[in-house]
Amino acid sequence: MKRWALPALVLTLVLSLPPSLHAQAKDTLTVALVSHAPTMDPHMHFERVGILVNINMFDSLLHRNTKLEFEPSIATSWKALSDTQWEFKIRKGVRFHNGEVLTPEDVKYSFDRVIDQTKKSPQYGNIRAIKEVKVVNADTVHIITDKPFPLLLERLVFFPIVPKKHIEAVGDQAFGSTSPVGTGPWKFVEWKRDQYIKLEAFDQHWRGKPAFKHLVFRAIPEVATQVAEIKTGGVDLMRNVSADLLPEFKTHPQAYISSTPILRVHYMALDMRSAPFDKRPARQAANYAIDKGTVIQKLMAGLGTQTATVVQPLAFGFDPSVKPYPYDAKKAKELLAQAGYPNGVDITLHSAFVEFRPVFEALCQMLTEVGIRTTPKMWDPGPAWNKFFQTEGKATNGYYGSWGNYSVFDADAVLHPLYHTEPGGWVGKWYTRVEGLDKLIDEARSSVDQPKRKKVYSQIQTMIREEAPSIFLFTQYDTLAISKKVQYAARGDEWLWLYDAKPVGR
Amino acid sequence: MLTLLIRRVVRLAVVLVGVTLITFSILHVSGDPVSLIMPEAPEADRAALRVAMGFNDPLPLQFTRFLANTVRGNFGNSFFHRAPALPLVLERMPTTLLLSICAMALSLALAIPLGIITAIRRASLLDWGATLIVFLGTSMPVFWTGIMLILLFAVQLRVLPVSGWESWAALVLPTITLATFSTPLLLRIVRSSMLEVINLDYVRTARAKGVSEWFVICRHALINAALPLVTVAGLQFGLLLTGAIITETVFAVPGMGRLIVGAIRQLDFPIVQAGVFVFAMIIVVVNFTVDLLYIYLNPQIRVR
Repeated sequence: MKRWALPALVLTLVLSLPPSLHAQAKDTLTVALVSHAPTMDPHMHFERVGILVNINMFDSLLHRNTKLEFEPSIATSWKALSDTQWEFKIRKGVRFHNGEVLTPEDVKYSFDRVIDQTKKSPQYGNIRAIKEVKVVNADTVHIITDKPFPLLLERLVFFPIVPKKHIEAVGDQAFGSTSPVGTGPWKFVEWKRDQYIKLEAFDQHWRGKPAFKHLVFRAIPEVATQVAEIKTGGVDLMRNVSADLLPEFKTHPQAYISSTPILRVHYMALDMRSAPFDKRPARQAANYAIDKGTVIQKLMAGLGTQTATVVQPLAFGFDPSVKPYPYDAKKAKELLAQAGYPNGVDITLHSAFVEFRPVFEALCQMLTEVGIRTTPKMWDPGPAWNKFFQTEGKATNGYYGSWGNYSVFDADAVLHPLYHTEPGGWVGKWYTRVEGLDKLIDEARSSVDQPKRKKVYSQIQTMIREEAPSIFLFTQYDTLAISKKVQYAARGDEWLWLYDAKPVGR
Repeated sequence: MLTLLIRRVVRLAVVLVGVTLITFSILHVSGDPVSLIMPEAPEADRAALRVAMGFNDPLPLQFTRFLANTVRGNFGNSFFHRAPALPLVLERMPTTLLLSICAMALSLALAIPLGIITAIRRASLLDWGATLIVFLGTSMPVFWTGIMLILLFAVQLRVLPVSGWESWAALVLPTITLATFSTPLLLRIVRSSMLEVINLDYVRTARAKGVSEWFVICRHALINAALPLVTVAGLQFGLLLTGAIITETVFAVPGMGRLIVGAIRQLDFPIVQAGVFVFAMIIVVVNFTVDLLYIYLNPQIRVR
């Protein structure tokens, strides 16, 4: 039949195309990310997907090991000279990818370009407490802050040191797109926006050469596609594997799961300005109403840890003697009656936390069961914040969300944004009204005396556990799917520090 | 002829102003971009950004400024990429166009012969089969088709790459996905318009003259049946572009659609506006081309 010739030909052609690309070279490690950051310049964005790429190309003064302890990197040692002055010894003989040797001048330059407000770095806020960086001699740098800044070391773990001479020669634009140069384990090769970033091992890296010669970060927005890629070997590592996918990977011949608790805490922020959550018993009732264990087991595949407050075990200042609210529906009803709602109360809760929609709906159902009859409202992530916070009064009883602490392992990183009421604050200024809490947060923030800070944080945790400005929930896990060709483990700071990745012999 | 062209060009301008007005207002109603660009920044910094971006001015003024800039091809800098928006969109346009054109070509290559055959062999097994395919094709959502094709051809059979844009083979699955979406309607159109003309007098006359069946169908029947096909194909092309948005996301294709989806999530106004503008532009140009094809295919319009 002649008229079938063409379709038949097309079909044959389609089916006979070479099985392309998936057969990867053994010395290549391919990582799937949902997107790429807008720039390669590690100081000019603050996107998780960008940080994950940058850390493999750039070194910072400090590093964190897999146990999340500080470790020397560009700085070989550090100490506080006073409340506002720190000294860092700079490692000798560290080379940039272009062959130049790193000097304290580069360190100073790196800070100066973020502090310089005309450059509009989105990371300025992280280090705004730094007043000046001084080069003392050929291997010493002093960092001077305008007030005691206990979070300094935390902030220096991701603060890449960039080459002064190189950037001055090529300009900021080229540095961020076609010629980024760092001192990290891999150097830049090629970036095709929304497709891939290709890196190559840097032979002269001071730690020694990384195990994989090529490192590729592909941008694949759809999770189902990432999963298909990992199953066919097109990708070796993907992030944020959701609970429903876990059983599939448990028995998969080509990939395995690595999961670890991370610094992300889930909470239901309560609007304390209006009824019913202006009353403490009502807020406590909401806390007793939630069966956290069941949510974690049934909806999160067991990957979560209950928390007593929003301060979590990984963070500095965590007090294990403060215990989570147990699930107690009867007590919740009593407290609700005590608050003046013996027949229950109607509220609306909001969320834009799309990935955890089932959890949100379960939480609302649990509240409804004790008499806090909740209407859940789900929003698109983009414009939602305004709706939660800025609509004064009506229908903003609270919202469900999570806080990632920006990878800062300190209680301040969650307490200040969630509960401090200063105008520059985030959630606290809208929702939280706990007397004396602001003062305690400020007190802990303005000291570098760690034992003293720890004591204040214990006090705060006891206080907020009692006052219940939020429904305290659980921490989240970071769950990676990894090819069996690669040996790697998820980290508590959600970093992909691929220098630790090793090929599995075959 | 000339008035026809002028009328079309005027219509084009009106449509474009309308499109920009709609995108402009929808985006401004939906939220405050400043709190999204710097969610944690102190109020003073936000206020400064608001002034710098002109978000404090009255909306009509903002729109007039926007329109004047649009005419000059200046949509402002993308908040996210910190680079001019229009080039970012245009840079990705060839990818989306290539995908849409391939899908359209595949659709036509399937729909025309199948449509003709099913029209001639009405109520045959083939006809029933085609009806079933049409039914399936229109019922399946694009993203689902895409994922199923990935599972079949990339995961099970391993003959094609899952996603990406690095080889010609990567083009195959997205093209098929998009084509499953557009083929059914085109097939229906070819079939029904063929049925309409195939029993008309002039076709019978042609047959009576002893012209070969093949020639009758292609030369006489098809040309007349092609008019509705051209119209629908033109409209379908617009739908294909929107379908490409989903397809690009599923297959990680670095096209315009994916850029715009990302921009909508980030409330990156300039990209969304430039993107919608370019999409509208393409659709208007396609419709214009369809009008011209009409004139070529149907001499009656030329005379009128």
